[in-house]
Amino acid sequence: MNTFLSRNRLIVLAYIGMLLLVLITAFFSPGFLSASNLRSTFILASFVGIVALGQTFVIIGGGIDLSIPWVLNSAAVLMTLLCAGQDLPLIWVVPLLLAGGGLIGLLNGAGVALLGVPPIIMTLAANVILQGLILVFTGGTPTPAAPDMIKFLSVGRISGIPVIALIWTALTVLAWLLLSKSAFGRHLYAVGTNVTVARYSGVPTTRTTILTYVISGMTAALGGILLTGYSGVAYLGMGDSYLFTTVAAVAIGGAPILGGSGHYIGTVAGALVLTILTGLLPALNLSSGALLVVYGAVILLTVSIGSETFSEMWASASNRRKRIKEGTENG
Amino acid sequence: MDIVQVKGLTKRFGGIVALDGADFSARLGEVHALLGENGAGKSTFIQILSGALNHDGGDILVDGQDYRPVNPDEALGRGIAAVFQELSLVPDLSVEQNIWFRREPRTWLRTVDVSQMRQQTLELFERYHFPSIATTREVRNLTLAERQIVEVAKGLAKNPRILILDEATSALPASEATWLLSLARQLADEGRLVIFISHRMGEVRAIADRVSVFRNGSTVATHDAAAVSDDQIVTEMIGRQLARLYPERMDTATDRVALQVRDFSSPPMLNGVNFDLREGEVLGVGGLQGHGQREMFQSLFGADKALGSVTLWGKPVCFDTPRQALSGSEGIALVPEDRRGQGLLLTKSVRENLSLPVIRRFSHLGLLNQRKEAELVRETMKSLSIKADTPEQIAGTLSGGNQQKVIFGKMLMTQARVLLLYDPTRGVDVGTKGEIFQLMRQLASEGYAILFYSSDLPELVNVADRVMVLRSGRVARMLEGDDITEEEILRAAVFDSEAA
Ligand SMILES: Nc1ncnc2c1ncn2[C@@H]1O[C@H](COP(=O)(O)OP(=O)(O)OP(=O)(O)O)[C@@H](O)[C@H]1O
Ligand SMILES: [Mg+2]
Repeated sequence: MNTFLSRNRLIVLAYIGMLLLVLITAFFSPGFLSASNLRSTFILASFVGIVALGQTFVIIGGGIDLSIPWVLNSAAVLMTLLCAGQDLPLIWVVPLLLAGGGLIGLLNGAGVALLGVPPIIMTLAANVILQGLILVFTGGTPTPAAPDMIKFLSVGRISGIPVIALIWTALTVLAWLLLSKSAFGRHLYAVGTNVTVARYSGVPTTRTTILTYVISGMTAALGGILLTGYSGVAYLGMGDSYLFTTVAAVAIGGAPILGGSGHYIGTVAGALVLTILTGLLPALNLSSGALLVVYGAVILLTVSIGSETFSEMWASASNRRKRIKEGTENG
Repeated sequence: MDIVQVKGLTKRFGGIVALDGADFSARLGEVHALLGENGAGKSTFIQILSGALNHDGGDILVDGQDYRPVNPDEALGRGIAAVFQELSLVPDLSVEQNIWFRREPRTWLRTVDVSQMRQQTLELFERYHFPSIATTREVRNLTLAERQIVEVAKGLAKNPRILILDEATSALPASEATWLLSLARQLADEGRLVIFISHRMGEVRAIADRVSVFRNGSTVATHDAAAVSDDQIVTEMIGRQLARLYPERMDTATDRVALQVRDFSSPPMLNGVNFDLREGEVLGVGGLQGHGQREMFQSLFGADKALGSVTLWGKPVCFDTPRQALSGSEGIALVPEDRRGQGLLLTKSVRENLSLPVIRRFSHLGLLNQRKEAELVRETMKSLSIKADTPEQIAGTLSGGNQQKVIFGKMLMTQARVLLLYDPTRGVDVGTKGEIFQLMRQLASEGYAILFYSSDLPELVNVADRVMVLRSGRVARMLEGDDITEEEILRAAVFDSEAA
């Protein structure tokens, strides 16, 4: 664990930032620390966190998944349609939709790893196609309400703890095992660091890349299913905000956008930071436009503090200062 | 007066002491060789001298004046340019664009004056007799050797008073290496100072006027090259006497064929190669550069495609990927040409690099047994004496030679018994070279079969049991026994042997 922390200083920073944010928020809106508010913050963060799990894997592998919004939305819409408000069909609907999300991921991954289509293009295309399909399919008619079981999973509690927080925790443990304790994790970091070196080292690079997109498709679908329970219905456009938030959560969590390092443990902090921030900004009485500006600026700032250029600038500045002190340079 | 004078130079990277009070002094008009083990601090020293790194303590005087450059441009302002060990060209730019990078000749509109730039490149190439490389080619399409040559051109284009060459010959085949040596001589005769780093004693002997020896970050001694013996230098370098560089010849080859290759082709570079590599044999591969050696190694390993039949331990195989080649103990492993581009994850630890090819072997019920991994990694590091602070040191911060050893270690960990070694001693110090040759011999006697390419002819002559010389993608000649000499290898590489 010691080496984990020293190798992932940015993750530690993300958690420190999160704590600071909690303090600031508690200062501006004292109600923030109430149990019910903490609980709802956690529930909202869980959605971001779950959906960002796949994005984390994809980004570590050197790609990016822009198809998340409509994979999520498709899963939500299809779930409500197929279940028609009943719990029983969930037995087959949920596995089917997870598999469907995985299949989209498989296609994304195959396009990227086998055909060499740039990830941005491949996943953006998948996103648009899914959007079109869902529009055609539903014809804009409203869908039935979410089954009670799904509502329980997303907003219910077991002895006071939100069920979704338990789901998120389980997924976090799983992600940690995969990234830190499995051969797949090693392969993934290798592919993201240098795919040629990985290939020469016998890493199944194609399979590894494809798998990241499969995971991402599955977590997006899961996120869509659960989110329906939160909002009560599926609606078109419900996944749109998740593109930015997942990428931002990964970035705030310290993973470089070019891949090769980072960890889901960081993304967890990222998801919490983003959610707390969304709660804090209204408390500052900003207009919704100004809110977005602040939101974007804060993310930009957080991410750039961790970036390499910034730390280089910092290092060279402190070097210079040192030298001026020593008197070997004037000015 | 000496143009460069260095006193008590120190440099630390975190807890690692790279330079520990190094002294150095050199004058214009000489070729000054810098020798030392892998990790002795040579590259760190010249990076400081050329403004790529800051030093922690000590003084540098250039022209008798205090010198502490913040960046390479400032160093160049004082007339110092370096060709670094790790190449730094931009792959997407052409040869000439790289050579004049950030210093392009301009037209009055401030646009790049392309014809002027070409003119200058050709003049530079002609003045210093550069091997021919089309100036408009993209660097990404060049071989490692060609890139190295462009790197030298880039350094020279700055017209420095002091040119530093850090292992610039290590990636070059014999003829180009010879050219670079005479170039260094020519530059010194023009009144410049050339600081020359190499692990090849022969090269140092051929051109150096003086020799400085580094060990563990400080200077052991500076000698007039004429007044010191090889043995003494080597002893100063490694702190003990080197019994012998090349291992004793032992015929450990059996009759069993480990790797049978027939009609192996991938035109235009490979045009039907046939050979048998036997169990227990070290089969050398020679020839002029660019006659199919690289393609042969790549294709046998499954990294490139080729036609023909390959039989491994009696079983026909066809590898589409390196993963297939590496799988199992019946596999083939490769030490690739390009250390940074193919061999190492530079930003990952030594441990992660070493265990990457075999990581699945540590997996039990889906989880890694990290204790077992650490144990095997430690063993490998020890058996190759890889000089790293801990297994967690980032591979990119190791000295060049130690990076090469990590790649060697990766391959050994796979337990594949047919080894393809493409220039495995590039940038490795004499002491370690000796160890690597020893290891190759030992592996051979344990039943490994080794295909061994080297850009250093004496290595082929002294280590290989047989040497096959490639010309135009075919085996021009298979040299055995007393026929294995530098002259014969060169002759076979250049002339048609049957006609001669
Ligand atoms: N950025 C860095 N971070 C940590 N350690 C470093 C870094 N750069 C160099 N070192 C360490 O400093 C020591 C000296 O390295 P250096 O590259 O100068 O050796 P060298 O003499 O050039 O060796 P070689 O012959 O193998 O090229 C080595 O132990 C190396 O691991
Ligand atoms: Mg070096």
